[in-house]
Amino acid sequence: MRQLGLGLTIAAAGLAMALQTARADEELPIGVIAAQSGSFVSAGNTIVGAANLAAQQINDAGGIKVGDKTYKIKLYIRDNRTDVNVTIAAARELVNDIGVKAIWGTETHDFSVSMAKITGPAKVLQFSGNSSLGAVLDNKAVAEDGWLHYTFQSEPQEWQRSGSTGKGVLSLLTPQLKSPPKHSVVFVGNDATGQYLSSHYVKALEAEGQKVDLVQYPPDTTDFSPLLTRIKGMKPDIVHFWYNGDSTLTAFPQALKLGVAPSYFLFGVDPGIYQERSLKADVPVTLSCVPVCWGSSPYPEVKQYFDKYFGLGAAKGPQSSVSLLYYDYFFWYAKALEKVGKIDDPDAVVAELLKSDYKGVVSPVPLVFNKHHQVTFATEVCMVEPNTSDQFKCAVEQPPAAPPPGDNGG
Amino acid sequence: MPVTDNSAGKTGAAPEGARARDRLALLTADNAAVPLPAGVQAITAILLAVLLIALPWLGLGYRFLSIAITTLYTAIGLYGLGLQFGQAGIMSVGHAALMGVGAYASAILSVQLGLGLWASLPFAMALSAIVGGVIGLPTLRVGGQHYIIITFCFCALFVIVLTNGGTFTGSATGLDVGSVTPLPGINFDKLSNNYYLVLAALFLAVVATYLIGNSRYGRTLRAIRENEQLARSVGINVDLHKLGVLMVSGLFAGLAGVLQLYYLRHISPTLFGAFPSLYLALMVMLGGARYLYGPLIGAVVVNFLPEVLNLDPVDSRIAYGVCLLLVILLLPGGVGAGIKNIYCAITGGFETQKQRGSNGRA
Repeated sequence: MRQLGLGLTIAAAGLAMALQTARADEELPIGVIAAQSGSFVSAGNTIVGAANLAAQQINDAGGIKVGDKTYKIKLYIRDNRTDVNVTIAAARELVNDIGVKAIWGTETHDFSVSMAKITGPAKVLQFSGNSSLGAVLDNKAVAEDGWLHYTFQSEPQEWQRSGSTGKGVLSLLTPQLKSPPKHSVVFVGNDATGQYLSSHYVKALEAEGQKVDLVQYPPDTTDFSPLLTRIKGMKPDIVHFWYNGDSTLTAFPQALKLGVAPSYFLFGVDPGIYQERSLKADVPVTLSCVPVCWGSSPYPEVKQYFDKYFGLGAAKGPQSSVSLLYYDYFFWYAKALEKVGKIDDPDAVVAELLKSDYKGVVSPVPLVFNKHHQVTFATEVCMVEPNTSDQFKCAVEQPPAAPPPGDNGG
Repeated sequence: MPVTDNSAGKTGAAPEGARARDRLALLTADNAAVPLPAGVQAITAILLAVLLIALPWLGLGYRFLSIAITTLYTAIGLYGLGLQFGQAGIMSVGHAALMGVGAYASAILSVQLGLGLWASLPFAMALSAIVGGVIGLPTLRVGGQHYIIITFCFCALFVIVLTNGGTFTGSATGLDVGSVTPLPGINFDKLSNNYYLVLAALFLAVVATYLIGNSRYGRTLRAIRENEQLARSVGINVDLHKLGVLMVSGLFAGLAGVLQLYYLRHISPTLFGAFPSLYLALMVMLGGARYLYGPLIGAVVVNFLPEVLNLDPVDSRIAYGVCLLLVILLLPGGVGAGIKNIYCAITGGFETQKQRGSNGRA
């Protein structure tokens, strides 16, 4: 009888512990919509890689303590197949069928905008990295009844990034050239992102005293030689290959062969990729990454991050660093949930995100959202020593305090 | 493809191999001109209508319903393409651009003048029809592959104009619109209501296609398709009819484009480029341009195939290519023809149908 009593006590204790554990392991559903197939796959995979790493780290650390409950992140990852219709179907599924509390993605402006028209009315938070969202994130859109009230841009405003990038490129290249550079050509893909980004970058270079010509190429171009020959005729001091790292990696060797300019800037090409591809130029070349380089970062925490990121099997590519536009915001969101004390109050979470800060991997300075739901952080620019593939000199350039003349912000 | 006599299989006089060949020929024939009995047509229409109306109630989820909406507005555009290709024999590989004309017209009217879907729809459809007619002008001088190249060029040009159109067209970033203006008691922000809106438009497109196909106008178009010179020699105003059908096709495309705009609520030039246009041509060929439900079948196959089989875009393109080859080789009339042939093979062959036959669409 005594043994039976003991047995019952142990069983009851076990049951209580099991219930406690079950209560402790409540699920926080978070959606990820990204291209895991199709033409945007290299950008899309970085979102998935960052989400997996962040969720794993948060869960391994015990989850998110909200009120008296602890939540483990449950990711619902959907492949948008680089198709806006599939993106919308996936957003509907995540928001209405599954009931996620927040969505990370997508990799492209059009898809993110269409998605925000679903997440907004449903009060689901959306974290998108597209800096071109700046074109629509205004006072009216982010107001409490605005369609982008629950959308956050996890990349700096484009005038900030353009300003820091332009300044960094010029300060690294100027000592390498016989005379200070005066004439720049910006070479960019003629698509939504390219148009938006280059409009700010041209103004940033002009603010630095450059005479700037803009040359656009159709997005699917593979033979750049006719346009590059035209650029050579313009006799530029610097050719800036802007925005699309994949296209730049095709165009840059063609430019070297044609001897288009005495110096180059390659936006979105990581030093790691430059080294892996054994690229070599007899003229000075500068590189910058979105947002921080994985191949040559001055920050130890960034290096640690990429070791873990690649350790999970993520591919090393020109866009790998884009994953950092998504990683930190998982932790920041978790911190906001803990502070608010409940997961079903998106308005309070938005308010908390807007008044809090977070020191993450992407920036040594704490991240803060401005009133238009955008963050600010510095840009890393590196220079490759001529005739080498692995000798880099990197500098971190802070963004300017205000947009340059002629740039209306955004 | 000529209709094949399947009586040999019934008499047992022919050898087994010949019977098998006859059966294959029966299943692969294009019998668009042979109508099904009126009762069968009515039952098919009712069953299809019930299924489509009941779809939001079947508990298939928002993802399924979203893809269904995409399928339906695509099918509306395809009905226009089906008319010009299936009835008049004029193929286009730039049809997405015509949808884009409607979508952009409506979006620009919304951004510049604040007009919603209902107010902008007639203008958008009319503009698409006019543009369809203008692009059709070269068909009066050239046909076949020449016209196909012209439509492709129009598509490419359209995208370039939109991409470089500044704030008026939103450039490459595109344009945003608000929700569909609610009707009394109906809020179209609710996905099922949005579905019924598109379904109602599809219903109109199917009815219009049926009426055109079974009218004197439809018979005239088929006469032009079969022999343009002969049609001209018997006094048919071929030029007028060709332009007419291209304008009707443009009306359908405009309607589809506006519905697409208000479903996505954001459009950009890439939606109306060469790839989407080629997909539309593929869909109409897969489904069967000469069959009443062919465009709908084509839209369902192409939109749902990657979803059901979990295909990525590369696999999907391979699958579509293989499907198209199989259709060209085995089912020149498209999947619609195959379904009809299977039905007729099960229920006793085409002979009776052929005797009833006229030039209607089944």
